[in-house]
Amino acid sequence: MTDQTTDTPQFGADQKAKEAYFTASQRQLIWARFKKQRAAMIAAWVLLALLLSGIFAPFLSPYDPTIAGRNKDYTNGAPQIPQFCDDAGCSFRPFVYGVTRERSMATNFRWVTKIDTEQRHYIYFFEEGWDYKLFGVIPMDTHLFATRTEGGFVHIFGTDSSGKDIFSRTLHAIWTSMQVGTIGVFIAFVLALIIGGISGYYGGWIDSVIQMVTDAVRTVPAIPLFMAVAAFMPPEMTAEARFFYISLILGLIGWPTLARRVRTHLLTERNQEYVLAAQLCGARPGHVIRKHLLPSFTSYIIVDLVISFPYMVLSETALSFIGLGLKDPVNSLGVMLQNVTSADVLLNYQWYFIPVIFFIALVMAFVFVGDGLRDAADPYSDTHK
Amino acid sequence: MLQFGKFVATRASMAMITLIIVSLVVFTLMELVPGDCAERYLAFKNTQGSGISVEDIEVERQRLGLDRPFMERWVSWIVGAFQGEFGDSCILRVNIAQLLGTKFWLSLSICLASLVLAYAIAIPVGMISAATNNPYLNNTLRIVSYFGLAMPNFLLALVIMLFSTVWFGETLTGLFSNEYRDAPWGWDKFVDLMKHAWLPIFILGWSATAFALQTVRALMSDEVGKLYVTAAAARGVHGRKLLWRYPARHALGPIVNSLGFDLNRIFNELPIVALILVLTDAGALLIEALARSNDQQLAGAIIFLLTASIVTLNFLTDVLLAVLDPRVRKSIMR
Repeated sequence: MTDQTTDTPQFGADQKAKEAYFTASQRQLIWARFKKQRAAMIAAWVLLALLLSGIFAPFLSPYDPTIAGRNKDYTNGAPQIPQFCDDAGCSFRPFVYGVTRERSMATNFRWVTKIDTEQRHYIYFFEEGWDYKLFGVIPMDTHLFATRTEGGFVHIFGTDSSGKDIFSRTLHAIWTSMQVGTIGVFIAFVLALIIGGISGYYGGWIDSVIQMVTDAVRTVPAIPLFMAVAAFMPPEMTAEARFFYISLILGLIGWPTLARRVRTHLLTERNQEYVLAAQLCGARPGHVIRKHLLPSFTSYIIVDLVISFPYMVLSETALSFIGLGLKDPVNSLGVMLQNVTSADVLLNYQWYFIPVIFFIALVMAFVFVGDGLRDAADPYSDTHK
Repeated sequence: MLQFGKFVATRASMAMITLIIVSLVVFTLMELVPGDCAERYLAFKNTQGSGISVEDIEVERQRLGLDRPFMERWVSWIVGAFQGEFGDSCILRVNIAQLLGTKFWLSLSICLASLVLAYAIAIPVGMISAATNNPYLNNTLRIVSYFGLAMPNFLLALVIMLFSTVWFGETLTGLFSNEYRDAPWGWDKFVDLMKHAWLPIFILGWSATAFALQTVRALMSDEVGKLYVTAAAARGVHGRKLLWRYPARHALGPIVNSLGFDLNRIFNELPIVALILVLTDAGALLIEALARSNDQQLAGAIIFLLTASIVTLNFLTDVLLAVLDPRVRKSIMR
């Protein structure tokens, strides 16, 4: 180990670095290794940005994402791109053009939107708008941006068929999907800890029986099973109840993989001397599992949770997509993706696809961060390279 | 040889036990559904205009044997299931075995075909990716394979389908052309099937390939660094021959072992792809059974069949591995 007294100047810096390395906590070591991976760091920033935009969704979105915030004058409207300059000159304040809609003999009686370049709607920041509760508690009505013009509007991602702002919906959807995923992962995690904990700690025939059941559950294809369980939700269920039910299903079906990991960790750890020492001191099994065994692999469990998260989000999306998950008044990524499935959208309203980009970014960010964490938490990862 | 027989028998009985546990889970879920088959059928008749009383429901319940205790019904269900007999569908009132029939085999073959496709791409590409020192190639492959995971495959299906409709004027939905739908099996019908089936096979194989690629790459990069590979290289074996004859044989075991879970994953995607491509296979039938009519009898049968094919594949790969891998072979045939 490091010698405290040999603090001579020429070894000073080297010694300090060594000392920092040897006295670093597990978390510091993981962070140091994680920082070295460029792809994982980029993904972590993307993830953080998405998370923050989810948390602050009501503040960032100029319009209410529900039907209350619809813009009936601009249904299926194309995205409006804020700009600073046009033929009439430049301005420091970004603006979007106004639109006029008309339906007449000349347009074959269809609503046709025309951009009116004469009309400029300037975008102002920190404007007052619809009421919301930040973090669900603080009542506020300030929004990041809005226009002040009477009758003007700004939809930077366009609007959907009922005139709801896609930008606002996407931000809220990210948050909902994250919540469903978090609750699902949490339920799966608690189940996995209990089942895997019992199985790994006791071993023997208890372990064999539990493993057999876990393996059996693992062989059942999850999505068809999800569908079977989700279909039994009474249709008159409220949106909130549905939301919790879906999270519950995701959790109840997602535990076996995690439980297996917990069990494997426990099986290797329980024969260590420190466990024997605790047992000899008269500690009860629950105490040994909680206080001695679980802390020994907390970091691995966190990594497993991060890795299983995108699959929860994907499952939610798949369920909502077939119409068995969350439904329209709720904004989740699955509900948003469901909207892109018609030929009309692909040919005429391509901006419906913008949420898809966010969805892919979210899943990929999670996968990369999970991968990076796994490599970082593996104490032998340095020797591999 | 006797040892081998014993091994196969143990594996087979374990597979059976797994299936029985699964059937218990599935059957319990079916039971938990509010309202049983009798109520559902009669409620349906009610909407058709014929008046139904509580006594009618009781009579129907007795006719279907729903008044027997849970365990008894489960045993009779599982005995029937192993003989390929699942009773009648709750709503459609037709024999489930007949209803599923060829549909199930068709979807199973499509899934297996996409599994083959996935590994046909993943094994060579994964090996190249593991053996190469080129960081750009490596990172590109990694990003592409993650993209395969994150890109929802229904989106891929949708885009391909719409493009083909718009630019080629050809609809790619369904599995058969109209004239072959009810025709007896023959070469022409097979060709027609192949003309339609490539799209679902490709789309299902898409994310399966991404997964398989990661598995192959991880296994291979673990193996190529080992000393026996260096030793073989020192003896003058090089290039493709080196990769195929040394590390690839070691990596083979876990790959064969994971085939069952790959099939599981493909089954997960099947219903969604089937829904978009309007395929008339078991996956789409499942959605219909669940979303539209709450037909628990049919849903249970399909989930049981899907799981049974995964368990069978797991059993087959276990046996195959015992034949292929000398280490496993030695340990069971001492």
